Amino acid sequence: MSFEVPAGASVALLGPNGAGKTTLFRSAVGLVRPDFGSIELGAGAVAFVPQRLDIEPSFPATVRDVVRMGRYGALGWLRPFGDRDRELVDRAIESLGIRALADRRFGDLSGGERQRALLAQATAQDARLLLLDEPFTGLDAPTHGALRATLGAWRSQGRTVIVATHDLQSASRDYDLVICLNRRLVAVGPPAETCTEEVLAETFAGRVVRVGELLIDTAHHHHGAG
Amino acid sequence: MLEWLTDPFSAEFVRTGALAAAIVGVLCGVVGCYVVMRGMALVADSLAHGVLPGVAIAFALTAGTSGAEPDEWAIWAGALIAGLLTAGATSLIIQRSRVREETAAGVVFVFMLALGVAIASRVEGYSVDLTAFLFGDVLGVTDGEVALSAALTAAVLALVALFYRPFLMTSFDPQRAAALGMPVDRLHLVMLVIVTLAVVIGFRVVGALLVLGLLIAPPATAALVTRRLPSMMAVSAGIAALAAPVGLLLSWHLDIAAGASIVLAAVSAFVVALFARATPR
Repeated sequence: MSFEVPAGASVALLGPNGAGKTTLFRSAVGLVRPDFGSIELGAGAVAFVPQRLDIEPSFPATVRDVVRMGRYGALGWLRPFGDRDRELVDRAIESLGIRALADRRFGDLSGGERQRALLAQATAQDARLLLLDEPFTGLDAPTHGALRATLGAWRSQGRTVIVATHDLQSASRDYDLVICLNRRLVAVGPPAETCTEEVLAETFAGRVVRVGELLIDTAHHHHGAG
Repeated sequence: MLEWLTDPFSAEFVRTGALAAAIVGVLCGVVGCYVVMRGMALVADSLAHGVLPGVAIAFALTAGTSGAEPDEWAIWAGALIAGLLTAGATSLIIQRSRVREETAAGVVFVFMLALGVAIASRVEGYSVDLTAFLFGDVLGVTDGEVALSAALTAAVLALVALFYRPFLMTSFDPQRAAALGMPVDRLHLVMLVIVTLAVVIGFRVVGALLVLGLLIAPPATAALVTRRLPSMMAVSAGIAALAAPVGLLLSWHLDIAAGASIVLAAVSAFVVALFARATPR
Protein backbone atom coordinates (compact mmCIF):
# COMPACT_ATOMS: atom_id res chain seq x y z
CA MET A 1 0.00 0.00 0.00
CA SER A 2 1.12 3.53 -0.59
CA PHE A 3 -0.45 6.82 0.36
CA GLU A 4 0.43 10.30 1.49
CA VAL A 5 -1.26 12.49 4.05
CA PRO A 6 -0.86 16.26 3.59
CA ALA A 7 0.31 18.16 6.66
CA GLY A 8 -2.52 19.64 8.70
CA ALA A 9 -5.08 17.17 7.38
CA SER A 10 -7.59 15.49 9.60
CA VAL A 11 -7.77 11.87 8.58
CA ALA A 12 -10.01 8.92 9.40
CA LEU A 13 -8.41 5.49 9.15
CA LEU A 14 -11.43 3.33 8.45
CA GLY A 15 -11.65 -0.44 8.55
CA PRO A 16 -13.11 -3.42 10.39
CA ASN A 17 -11.41 -5.07 13.36
CA GLY A 18 -8.26 -6.83 12.20
CA ALA A 19 -7.91 -4.60 9.14
CA GLY A 20 -4.45 -3.51 10.22
CA LYS A 21 -5.21 -0.06 11.65
CA THR A 22 -3.35 -0.64 14.89
CA THR A 23 -0.47 -2.35 13.09
CA LEU A 24 -0.12 0.65 10.77
CA PHE A 25 0.10 2.97 13.78
CA ARG A 26 2.51 0.71 15.57
CA SER A 27 4.79 0.65 12.53
CA ALA A 28 4.56 4.41 12.21
CA VAL A 29 5.89 4.94 15.73
CA GLY A 30 8.44 2.13 15.47
CA LEU A 31 6.77 -0.38 17.77
CA VAL A 32 6.85 -3.03 15.04
CA ARG A 33 9.21 -3.18 12.11
CA PRO A 34 7.46 -3.38 8.74
CA ASP A 35 8.32 -6.56 6.80
CA PHE A 36 9.03 -4.27 3.86
CA GLY A 37 8.39 -0.68 2.84
CA SER A 38 8.90 2.52 4.77
CA ILE A 39 6.95 5.21 6.54
CA GLU A 40 8.09 8.83 6.43
CA LEU A 41 6.66 11.06 9.08
CA GLY A 42 8.08 14.48 8.23
CA ALA A 43 9.39 16.91 10.80
CA GLY A 44 8.20 17.21 14.39
CA ALA A 45 7.24 14.80 17.12
CA VAL A 46 4.62 12.07 16.75
CA ALA A 47 2.14 11.41 19.53
CA PHE A 48 0.52 8.00 19.73
CA VAL A 49 -2.57 7.42 21.87
CA PRO A 50 -3.04 3.63 22.12
CA GLN A 51 -6.45 2.06 22.40
CA ARG A 52 -6.47 1.46 26.11
CA LEU A 53 -4.17 1.28 29.06
CA ASP A 54 -4.25 -1.37 31.77
CA ILE A 55 -2.52 0.02 34.79
CA GLU A 56 -2.30 -0.90 38.43
CA PRO A 57 -4.45 1.39 40.61
CA SER A 58 -1.44 1.87 42.87
CA PHE A 59 0.88 3.13 40.11
CA PRO A 60 2.83 5.96 41.77
CA ALA A 61 2.00 8.89 39.48
CA THR A 62 -0.46 11.76 39.77
CA VAL A 63 -2.43 13.08 36.80
CA ARG A 64 0.08 15.91 36.51
CA ASP A 65 2.94 13.38 36.43
CA VAL A 66 1.20 11.57 33.59
CA VAL A 67 0.70 14.78 31.60
CA ARG A 68 4.34 15.74 32.25
CA MET A 69 5.41 12.47 30.61
CA GLY A 70 4.25 14.07 27.36
CA ARG A 71 7.32 16.33 27.55
CA TYR A 72 9.81 13.46 28.04
CA GLY A 73 10.25 13.00 24.29
CA ALA A 74 11.31 16.62 23.79
CA LEU A 75 13.35 16.89 26.99
CA GLY A 76 15.15 13.57 26.85
CA TRP A 77 16.29 11.77 29.99
CA LEU A 78 17.75 14.56 32.06
CA ARG A 79 17.02 18.08 30.79
CA PRO A 80 14.90 19.80 33.46
CA PHE A 81 11.45 21.24 32.75
CA GLY A 82 11.60 24.82 31.50
CA ASP A 83 8.95 27.54 31.52
CA ARG A 84 7.64 26.49 28.13
CA ASP A 85 7.32 22.83 29.21
CA ARG A 86 5.45 23.79 32.36
CA GLU A 87 3.18 26.06 30.35
CA LEU A 88 2.39 23.28 27.85
CA VAL A 89 1.56 20.93 30.72
CA ASP A 90 -0.65 23.50 32.45
CA ARG A 91 -2.46 24.40 29.23
CA ALA A 92 -3.05 20.73 28.39
CA ILE A 93 -4.50 20.07 31.86
CA GLU A 94 -6.67 23.16 31.49
CA SER A 95 -7.91 22.33 28.00
CA LEU A 96 -9.01 18.83 29.00
CA GLY A 97 -10.83 20.17 32.07
CA ILE A 98 -8.91 18.00 34.55
CA ARG A 99 -7.39 20.72 36.71
CA ALA A 100 -9.33 19.54 39.76
CA LEU A 101 -7.88 16.05 39.25
CA ALA A 102 -4.27 17.14 38.71
CA ASP A 103 -2.99 16.01 42.11
CA ARG A 104 -5.03 12.82 42.27
CA ARG A 105 -3.35 9.48 41.68
CA PHE A 106 -3.88 8.46 38.04
CA GLY A 107 -4.84 4.92 39.03
CA ASP A 108 -7.67 6.22 41.22
CA LEU A 109 -9.47 7.87 38.28
CA SER A 110 -12.45 6.52 36.35
CA GLY A 111 -11.94 5.26 32.81
CA GLY A 112 -13.12 8.48 31.21
CA GLU A 113 -11.00 10.64 33.50
CA ARG A 114 -7.95 8.53 32.67
CA GLN A 115 -8.66 8.95 28.98
CA ARG A 116 -8.78 12.72 29.41
CA ALA A 117 -5.47 12.64 31.28
CA LEU A 118 -3.92 10.65 28.44
CA LEU A 119 -5.29 13.13 25.88
CA ALA A 120 -3.75 15.91 27.95
CA GLN A 121 -0.47 13.98 27.82
CA ALA A 122 -0.67 13.86 24.01
CA THR A 123 -1.60 17.57 23.93
CA ALA A 124 1.39 18.47 26.13
CA GLN A 125 3.64 16.61 23.72
CA ASP A 126 2.96 19.42 21.22
CA ALA A 127 3.30 16.92 18.34
CA ARG A 128 2.82 17.81 14.67
CA LEU A 129 1.28 14.41 14.01
CA LEU A 130 -1.16 12.67 16.33
CA LEU A 131 -2.22 9.05 15.93
CA LEU A 132 -5.30 7.98 17.90
CA ASP A 133 -6.31 4.33 17.98
CA GLU A 134 -10.11 3.91 18.34
CA PRO A 135 -10.33 6.87 20.72
CA PHE A 136 -14.13 7.00 20.74
CA THR A 137 -14.63 3.39 21.80
CA GLY A 138 -16.32 3.06 25.18
CA LEU A 139 -16.16 6.71 26.27
CA ASP A 140 -18.50 8.36 28.75
CA ALA A 141 -20.36 11.46 27.56
CA PRO A 142 -18.11 14.18 29.07
CA THR A 143 -14.98 12.48 27.77
CA HIS A 144 -16.58 12.08 24.34
CA GLY A 145 -17.21 15.83 24.29
CA ALA A 146 -13.70 16.60 25.53
CA LEU A 147 -12.20 14.40 22.82
CA ARG A 148 -14.22 16.09 20.06
CA ALA A 149 -13.19 19.50 21.36
CA THR A 150 -9.55 18.41 21.54
CA LEU A 151 -9.61 17.07 17.98
CA GLY A 152 -11.13 20.39 16.85
CA ALA A 153 -8.43 22.35 18.67
CA TRP A 154 -5.61 20.26 17.19
CA ARG A 155 -7.12 20.74 13.75
CA SER A 156 -7.36 24.51 14.09
CA GLN A 157 -3.73 24.55 15.27
CA GLY A 158 -2.74 22.95 11.98
CA ARG A 159 -1.72 19.59 13.43
CA THR A 160 -2.10 16.44 11.40
CA VAL A 161 -4.47 14.02 13.10
CA ILE A 162 -5.09 10.42 12.06
CA VAL A 163 -7.92 8.69 13.90
CA ALA A 164 -8.49 4.95 13.58
CA THR A 165 -12.20 4.22 13.67
CA HIS A 166 -14.90 1.90 12.41
CA ASP A 167 -17.54 4.60 12.72
CA LEU A 168 -18.68 5.22 9.14
CA GLN A 169 -20.86 8.19 9.94
CA SER A 170 -18.15 10.07 11.73
CA ALA A 171 -15.60 9.21 9.04
CA SER A 172 -17.76 10.64 6.30
CA ARG A 173 -18.65 13.76 8.25
CA ASP A 174 -15.77 14.88 10.44
CA TYR A 175 -12.59 14.39 8.40
CA ASP A 176 -10.84 15.85 5.33
CA LEU A 177 -9.53 12.52 4.19
CA VAL A 178 -10.56 8.89 4.65
CA ILE A 179 -8.18 5.95 4.34
CA CYS A 180 -10.06 2.68 3.86
CA LEU A 181 -8.11 -0.32 5.08
CA ASN A 182 -8.88 -4.02 5.04
CA ARG A 183 -5.55 -5.84 5.30
CA ARG A 184 -4.58 -3.75 2.26
CA LEU A 185 -5.28 -0.22 1.09
CA VAL A 186 -8.80 -0.20 -0.37
CA ALA A 187 -9.11 3.51 -1.09
CA VAL A 188 -7.83 6.89 0.00
CA GLY A 189 -9.39 10.28 -0.67
CA PRO A 190 -11.94 12.81 0.54
CA PRO A 191 -15.12 11.35 2.08
CA ALA A 192 -17.15 12.09 -1.03
CA GLU A 193 -14.94 9.69 -3.02
CA THR A 194 -14.27 7.06 -0.38
CA CYS A 195 -17.50 6.79 1.54
CA THR A 196 -19.31 5.24 -1.40
CA GLU A 197 -21.23 2.00 -1.42
CA GLU A 198 -18.66 0.02 -3.44
CA VAL A 199 -15.64 1.19 -1.48
CA LEU A 200 -17.27 0.59 1.88
CA ALA A 201 -18.57 -2.83 0.87
CA GLU A 202 -15.01 -3.77 -0.05
CA THR A 203 -13.59 -2.25 3.12
CA PHE A 204 -16.04 -4.04 5.35
CA ALA A 205 -16.18 -7.23 3.26
CA GLY A 206 -18.03 -9.96 5.07
CA ARG A 207 -20.20 -7.54 6.99
CA VAL A 208 -22.16 -6.26 4.02
CA VAL A 209 -25.56 -6.36 5.66
CA ARG A 210 -24.60 -4.10 8.52
CA VAL A 211 -22.66 -1.89 6.16
CA GLY A 212 -25.80 -1.59 4.05
CA GLU A 213 -27.78 -0.30 7.00
CA LEU A 214 -25.12 2.17 7.92
CA LEU A 215 -24.75 3.27 4.33
CA ILE A 216 -28.34 4.37 4.17
CA ASP A 217 -27.67 6.41 7.21
CA THR A 218 -24.52 7.92 5.75
CA ALA A 219 -26.18 8.73 2.46
CA HIS A 220 -29.02 10.37 4.29
CA HIS A 221 -26.63 12.50 6.23
CA HIS A 222 -24.80 13.60 3.11
CA HIS A 223 -28.04 14.52 1.49
CA GLY A 224 -29.07 16.59 4.48
CA ALA A 225 -25.74 18.35 4.80
CA GLY A 226 -25.28 19.04 1.09
CA MET B 1 15.24 1.48 78.92
CA LEU B 2 18.09 3.42 77.32
CA GLU B 3 20.44 0.49 77.88
CA TRP B 4 17.90 -1.78 76.29
CA LEU B 5 18.30 0.36 73.17
CA THR B 6 22.04 0.95 73.29
CA ASP B 7 23.44 -2.28 74.72
CA PRO B 8 23.33 -4.31 71.52
CA PHE B 9 25.18 -1.61 69.62
CA SER B 10 28.10 -1.51 72.03
CA ALA B 11 29.58 -4.44 70.15
CA GLU B 12 31.41 -3.33 67.02
CA PHE B 13 30.24 -6.26 64.88
CA VAL B 14 26.62 -5.27 65.62
CA ARG B 15 27.29 -1.66 64.60
CA THR B 16 28.97 -2.85 61.40
CA GLY B 17 26.05 -5.18 60.72
CA ALA B 18 23.51 -2.41 61.38
CA LEU B 19 25.35 -0.09 58.98
CA ALA B 20 25.53 -2.78 56.29
CA ALA B 21 21.84 -3.62 56.72
CA ALA B 22 20.86 0.06 56.58
CA ILE B 23 22.83 0.53 53.34
CA VAL B 24 21.18 -2.54 51.86
CA GLY B 25 17.85 -1.24 53.12
CA VAL B 26 18.20 2.09 51.33
CA LEU B 27 19.22 0.34 48.12
CA CYS B 28 16.49 -2.32 48.23
CA GLY B 29 13.93 0.26 49.36
CA VAL B 30 14.56 2.39 46.27
CA VAL B 31 15.07 -0.38 43.69
CA GLY B 32 12.15 -2.34 45.14
CA CYS B 33 9.78 0.50 44.13
CA TYR B 34 10.26 -0.61 40.52
CA VAL B 35 9.88 -4.26 41.49
CA VAL B 36 6.52 -3.45 43.12
CA MET B 37 5.18 -1.01 40.52
CA ARG B 38 6.10 -3.29 37.61
CA GLY B 39 4.91 -6.49 39.30
CA MET B 40 8.39 -8.07 39.13
CA ALA B 41 8.34 -9.95 42.45
CA LEU B 42 8.96 -13.36 40.88
CA VAL B 43 11.65 -11.90 38.64
CA ALA B 44 13.41 -10.44 41.66
CA ASP B 45 13.11 -13.77 43.47
CA SER B 46 14.58 -15.50 40.43
CA LEU B 47 17.53 -13.11 40.35
CA ALA B 48 18.08 -13.70 44.08
CA HIS B 49 18.28 -17.48 43.66
CA GLY B 50 20.14 -17.18 40.40
CA VAL B 51 23.27 -16.16 42.29
CA LEU B 52 23.53 -19.63 43.90
CA PRO B 53 25.66 -21.39 41.23
CA GLY B 54 28.13 -18.49 41.30
CA VAL B 55 28.37 -18.70 45.07
CA ALA B 56 28.79 -22.49 44.92
CA ILE B 57 31.56 -22.27 42.32
CA ALA B 58 33.35 -19.54 44.27
CA PHE B 59 33.12 -21.71 47.38
CA ALA B 60 34.41 -24.77 45.55
CA LEU B 61 37.36 -22.86 44.08
CA THR B 62 38.48 -21.10 47.25
CA ALA B 63 37.51 -23.48 50.06
CA GLY B 64 36.19 -26.69 48.57
CA THR B 65 39.28 -28.86 48.75
CA SER B 66 41.24 -27.32 51.59
CA GLY B 67 38.33 -26.89 53.97
CA ALA B 68 39.46 -23.32 54.57
CA GLU B 69 37.17 -20.31 54.90
CA PRO B 70 35.85 -19.30 51.49
CA ASP B 71 37.18 -16.07 50.05
CA GLU B 72 34.50 -13.40 50.58
CA TRP B 73 35.49 -11.44 47.46
CA ALA B 74 35.27 -14.59 45.35
CA ILE B 75 31.76 -15.15 46.73
CA TRP B 76 30.80 -11.57 45.81
CA ALA B 77 32.22 -11.94 42.31
CA GLY B 78 30.59 -15.34 41.79
CA ALA B 79 27.22 -14.04 42.96
CA LEU B 80 27.49 -10.98 40.72
CA ILE B 81 28.44 -12.97 37.61
CA ALA B 82 25.71 -15.58 38.16
CA GLY B 83 23.15 -12.85 38.88
CA LEU B 84 24.04 -10.95 35.69
CA LEU B 85 23.84 -14.19 33.69
CA THR B 86 20.37 -14.80 35.15
CA ALA B 87 19.29 -11.27 34.20
CA GLY B 88 20.76 -11.56 30.70
CA ALA B 89 19.19 -14.97 30.06
CA THR B 90 15.78 -13.79 31.28
CA SER B 91 15.93 -10.73 29.04
CA LEU B 92 17.09 -12.80 26.05
CA ILE B 93 14.23 -15.30 26.45
CA ILE B 94 11.67 -12.48 26.62
CA GLN B 95 13.04 -10.81 23.49
CA ARG B 96 13.33 -14.08 21.57
CA SER B 97 9.99 -15.63 22.44
CA ARG B 98 7.77 -12.85 23.82
CA VAL B 99 6.66 -15.17 26.63
CA ARG B 100 5.53 -13.51 29.83
CA GLU B 101 8.29 -12.07 31.96
CA GLU B 102 7.44 -14.37 34.87
CA THR B 103 7.64 -17.47 32.66
CA ALA B 104 11.08 -16.51 31.36
CA ALA B 105 12.23 -15.71 34.89
CA GLY B 106 10.81 -19.00 36.18
CA VAL B 107 12.69 -21.08 33.61
CA VAL B 108 16.01 -19.38 34.33
CA PHE B 109 15.28 -19.49 38.07
CA VAL B 110 14.88 -23.28 38.27
CA PHE B 111 17.85 -23.85 35.97
CA MET B 112 20.17 -21.71 38.09
CA LEU B 113 18.84 -23.15 41.35
CA ALA B 114 19.26 -26.74 40.13
CA LEU B 115 22.73 -25.93 38.78
CA GLY B 116 23.67 -24.38 42.11
CA VAL B 117 22.45 -27.39 44.08
CA ALA B 118 24.22 -29.75 41.65
CA ILE B 119 27.53 -27.91 42.08
CA ALA B 120 27.09 -27.64 45.83
CA SER B 121 26.42 -31.38 46.11
CA ARG B 122 29.92 -32.04 44.74
CA VAL B 123 31.56 -29.73 47.27
CA GLU B 124 32.33 -30.97 50.76
CA GLY B 125 31.41 -28.71 53.63
CA TYR B 126 29.08 -26.59 51.57
CA SER B 127 26.01 -27.25 53.70
CA VAL B 128 27.22 -24.82 56.35
CA ASP B 129 27.77 -22.07 53.84
CA LEU B 130 24.45 -22.81 52.15
CA THR B 131 22.75 -21.66 55.34
CA ALA B 132 24.64 -18.38 55.14
CA PHE B 133 23.60 -18.09 51.50
CA LEU B 134 19.92 -18.58 52.24
CA PHE B 135 19.68 -16.60 55.47
CA GLY B 136 22.58 -14.18 55.29
CA ASP B 137 25.23 -13.38 57.85
CA VAL B 138 24.65 -9.78 58.81
CA LEU B 139 26.81 -9.98 61.94
CA GLY B 140 29.70 -11.47 59.96
CA VAL B 141 29.94 -8.60 57.49
CA THR B 142 33.42 -7.05 57.32
CA ASP B 143 34.37 -3.37 57.04
CA GLY B 144 35.59 -4.04 53.50
CA GLU B 145 32.20 -5.44 52.55
CA VAL B 146 30.46 -2.40 54.04
CA ALA B 147 32.67 -0.13 51.93
CA LEU B 148 31.95 -2.17 48.79
CA SER B 149 28.20 -2.19 49.55
CA ALA B 150 28.22 1.57 50.03
CA ALA B 151 30.10 2.16 46.76
CA LEU B 152 27.83 -0.16 44.78
CA THR B 153 24.73 1.36 46.39
CA ALA B 154 25.88 4.85 45.39
CA ALA B 155 26.46 3.61 41.83
CA VAL B 156 23.02 1.96 41.62
CA LEU B 157 21.27 5.03 43.03
CA ALA B 158 23.04 7.15 40.40
CA LEU B 159 21.68 4.77 37.73
CA VAL B 160 18.19 5.07 39.20
CA ALA B 161 18.42 8.87 38.96
CA LEU B 162 19.83 8.73 35.42
CA PHE B 163 17.08 6.37 34.23
CA TYR B 164 14.25 8.02 36.18
CA ARG B 165 12.22 9.21 33.17
CA PRO B 166 12.68 6.18 30.91
CA PHE B 167 11.90 3.80 33.78
CA LEU B 168 8.79 5.75 34.80
CA MET B 169 7.60 5.96 31.19
CA THR B 170 8.24 2.29 30.32
CA SER B 171 6.60 1.18 33.56
CA PHE B 172 3.58 3.37 32.84
CA ASP B 173 3.13 2.33 29.22
CA PRO B 174 5.82 0.60 27.15
CA GLN B 175 3.96 1.47 23.92
CA ARG B 176 4.08 5.20 24.57
CA ALA B 177 7.69 4.88 25.72
CA ALA B 178 8.62 3.18 22.46
CA ALA B 179 6.69 5.81 20.51
CA LEU B 180 8.86 8.43 22.24
CA GLY B 181 11.90 6.58 20.93
CA MET B 182 12.89 4.87 24.18
CA PRO B 183 14.69 1.50 23.72
CA VAL B 184 12.20 -0.52 25.76
CA ASP B 185 13.96 -3.92 25.57
CA ARG B 186 17.36 -2.53 26.52
CA LEU B 187 15.83 -0.50 29.34
CA HIS B 188 14.26 -3.68 30.65
CA LEU B 189 17.68 -5.35 30.71
CA VAL B 190 19.14 -2.37 32.59
CA MET B 191 16.28 -2.72 35.08
CA LEU B 192 17.10 -6.41 35.59
CA VAL B 193 20.79 -5.57 36.10
CA ILE B 194 19.89 -2.95 38.71
CA VAL B 195 17.69 -5.43 40.60
CA THR B 196 20.52 -7.98 40.33
CA LEU B 197 22.97 -5.53 41.90
CA ALA B 198 20.53 -4.89 44.74
CA VAL B 199 20.13 -8.62 45.26
CA VAL B 200 23.88 -9.32 45.24
CA ILE B 201 24.54 -6.53 47.70
CA GLY B 202 21.61 -7.65 49.83
CA PHE B 203 22.04 -11.42 50.02
CA ARG B 204 25.21 -11.24 52.13
CA VAL B 205 23.23 -9.38 54.77
CA VAL B 206 19.77 -10.95 54.86
CA GLY B 207 20.26 -13.96 52.59
CA ALA B 208 18.91 -14.93 49.19
CA LEU B 209 15.57 -16.00 50.64
CA LEU B 210 14.90 -12.82 52.55
CA VAL B 211 16.39 -10.15 50.30
CA LEU B 212 13.06 -10.26 48.50
CA GLY B 213 11.48 -9.14 51.79
CA LEU B 214 13.47 -5.89 51.67
CA LEU B 215 12.68 -5.44 47.96
CA ILE B 216 8.92 -5.86 48.45
CA ALA B 217 7.77 -4.91 51.96
CA PRO B 218 9.13 -1.32 52.25
CA PRO B 219 7.94 -0.24 48.76
CA ALA B 220 4.56 -1.90 49.34
CA THR B 221 4.29 0.07 52.58
CA ALA B 222 5.29 3.30 50.86
CA ALA B 223 2.74 2.70 48.09
CA LEU B 224 0.01 2.76 50.74
CA VAL B 225 0.89 6.25 51.92
CA THR B 226 2.28 8.07 48.84
CA ARG B 227 1.04 9.03 45.38
CA ARG B 228 4.23 9.85 43.51
CA LEU B 229 7.35 7.84 42.73
CA PRO B 230 9.92 10.19 44.33
CA SER B 231 8.06 10.24 47.65
CA MET B 232 7.44 6.49 47.40
CA MET B 233 11.18 5.92 47.02
CA ALA B 234 12.04 8.21 49.92
CA VAL B 235 9.52 6.64 52.31
CA SER B 236 10.47 3.13 51.22
CA ALA B 237 14.20 3.76 51.71
CA GLY B 238 13.49 5.27 55.13
CA ILE B 239 11.43 2.28 56.28
CA ALA B 240 13.98 -0.24 55.00
CA ALA B 241 16.90 1.62 56.59
CA LEU B 242 15.07 1.87 59.90
CA ALA B 243 14.24 -1.84 59.81
CA ALA B 244 17.98 -2.58 60.13
CA PRO B 245 18.62 -1.25 63.67
CA VAL B 246 15.11 -2.18 64.84
CA GLY B 247 15.57 -5.71 63.54
CA LEU B 248 19.00 -6.09 65.15
CA LEU B 249 17.62 -4.80 68.43
CA LEU B 250 14.88 -7.42 68.39
CA SER B 251 17.35 -10.05 67.27
CA TRP B 252 19.64 -9.25 70.23
CA HIS B 253 16.96 -9.25 72.91
CA LEU B 254 14.75 -12.05 71.60
CA ASP B 255 17.70 -14.14 70.45
CA ILE B 256 16.37 -14.67 66.94
CA ALA B 257 18.20 -14.78 63.58
CA ALA B 258 19.34 -11.29 62.61
CA GLY B 259 18.43 -11.33 58.89
CA ALA B 260 14.96 -12.71 59.58
CA SER B 261 14.48 -10.16 62.35
CA ILE B 262 15.25 -7.26 59.98
CA VAL B 263 12.74 -8.51 57.42
CA LEU B 264 10.13 -9.06 60.14
CA ALA B 265 10.60 -5.42 61.19
CA ALA B 266 10.13 -4.28 57.57
CA VAL B 267 6.96 -6.33 57.12
CA SER B 268 5.61 -5.05 60.46
CA ALA B 269 5.75 -1.53 59.02
CA PHE B 270 3.55 -2.72 56.16
CA VAL B 271 0.99 -4.19 58.55
CA VAL B 272 0.92 -0.99 60.61
CA ALA B 273 0.45 1.18 57.50
CA LEU B 274 -2.26 -1.12 56.19
CA PHE B 275 -4.40 -0.68 59.30
CA ALA B 276 -3.38 2.87 60.22
CA ARG B 277 -4.41 4.44 56.92
CA ALA B 278 -7.14 6.94 57.64
CA THR B 279 -9.24 6.29 54.56
CA PRO B 280 -9.12 3.35 52.21
CA ARG B 281 -8.32 4.40 48.67
